[in-house]
Amino acid sequence: MNLVQLLEQSGLTGRGGAAFSTATKVRAAHEHGAALIVNACDGEIGAMKDAYVVEHHLPELVRGATLVGGRRVRYAAHRGSATEARLRSAGLDVLSAPARYVSSEETSLISLAQGGLARPMTKRQPFVMGGADSEGRRISPTVVLNAETLWRVAQVVEHGPQWFRSQGLPDEPGPRLVGVGGAVSRPGVIATSAGIALRDIVAAAGGDLDHSGPVIVGGLGGVLLSRAEAASATWSTEGLRAFGGRPGSGVVHVLDAGDCPVAQLAHWFDHAAGESAGQCGPCMFGLPSIAADWHELAVGSSPVARERLQRRAASVTGRGACRFPDGVAGLATSALRVLSDHLADHACGRCAEGHPSRSSHDRVLAH
Amino acid sequence: MTASSPTDRRDRPALAGHPTVRVDRVACTGHGVCASLLPGSVRLDEWGYPVVLTAAEGGVDDGESARAAAVRLCPAMALYAERRS
Repeated sequence: MNLVQLLEQSGLTGRGGAAFSTATKVRAAHEHGAALIVNACDGEIGAMKDAYVVEHHLPELVRGATLVGGRRVRYAAHRGSATEARLRSAGLDVLSAPARYVSSEETSLISLAQGGLARPMTKRQPFVMGGADSEGRRISPTVVLNAETLWRVAQVVEHGPQWFRSQGLPDEPGPRLVGVGGAVSRPGVIATSAGIALRDIVAAAGGDLDHSGPVIVGGLGGVLLSRAEAASATWSTEGLRAFGGRPGSGVVHVLDAGDCPVAQLAHWFDHAAGESAGQCGPCMFGLPSIAADWHELAVGSSPVARERLQRRAASVTGRGACRFPDGVAGLATSALRVLSDHLADHACGRCAEGHPSRSSHDRVLAH
Repeated sequence: MTASSPTDRRDRPALAGHPTVRVDRVACTGHGVCASLLPGSVRLDEWGYPVVLTAAEGGVDDGESARAAAVRLCPAMALYAERRS
């Protein structure tokens, strides 16, 4: 059985967020003679599993990457990160990306690898087929796969598709990593699989969803779940769909019960606004506007701000070269839903949590 | 890297109904010429950037020649024809 057939039988999907079939991607890469970029940037807010894979499973990662990309493999990591240093000391070809949110988006890495800036490119067709950027610069066929995905490729080849399918759910098979942070006593990477209770994943990191604040699943590109929703949610595509979320990039951030969630989310939206690459109008104007709307809600003024925020979130969705605006819009929409009562308190000038502290999220947003 | 939501344009069949144009968002600088040439299917958002309306959103076909003109006349060369599958 060849590599693509093995991957097809395993049902492996990308662990970077999009959950696209790895077999389909690898087949296209081989058909078009694409070079491979291994994305080990942990670009999502709170992501830490790429670092974990490089630290603990580098030989398997390299084996998986070599199976897919042959000799044309580069390893992307954030400039100055421990992951970058580890990859370099292993003698690998490192693509050093600026430590900004959209710099590790797949088309940003392709642009950077081919001499451009680490900024998203418009995908007129998948870059695995090659193409051009918006200025007409030729882009040769390149495929980007997440570091965990390539480690899983090596595992599928070594242990077989049956072993892989013995974990997780029939339609979401295999082991997977989740980074858990925020209000937990042992933040770090949890080895789990789809179908596990979110409560158990958080507990494995020393968190307690009976006594926490709301939970952000998926970082800036994710959704906010109320504490009660998170406590009963299943970690799977199906289990998170009801909340507009998905396992995605494998990031869980538990908010502290003692902090005002409206104020905490304000810091996330401010951060998002500053992370736009400033290329696409709806993103460069939309994200700061969404952050401003949120602040307006937080100080308890205009009820108009809520409708405006909803409208803007819908409006920016699908209108960037990459999906960053879609992600932030999704987070904003979910935050409006989950924090509806709390925002009503703010509108009356009341907030049970008192003054917010910046400390806990500043740590994760400083990432 | 992002979550999918019910409002996600890219998860919907973009062209339920009629063919339309796509916008290279990196190239687009919001001249607004497309909205003048394609009044049935393109409107501008509050910042002057185009929103391409699907049939479900009330967009109507502006016709092949208008689309071709819009693609040709975009000052930023940011419009292109939808690849139909």
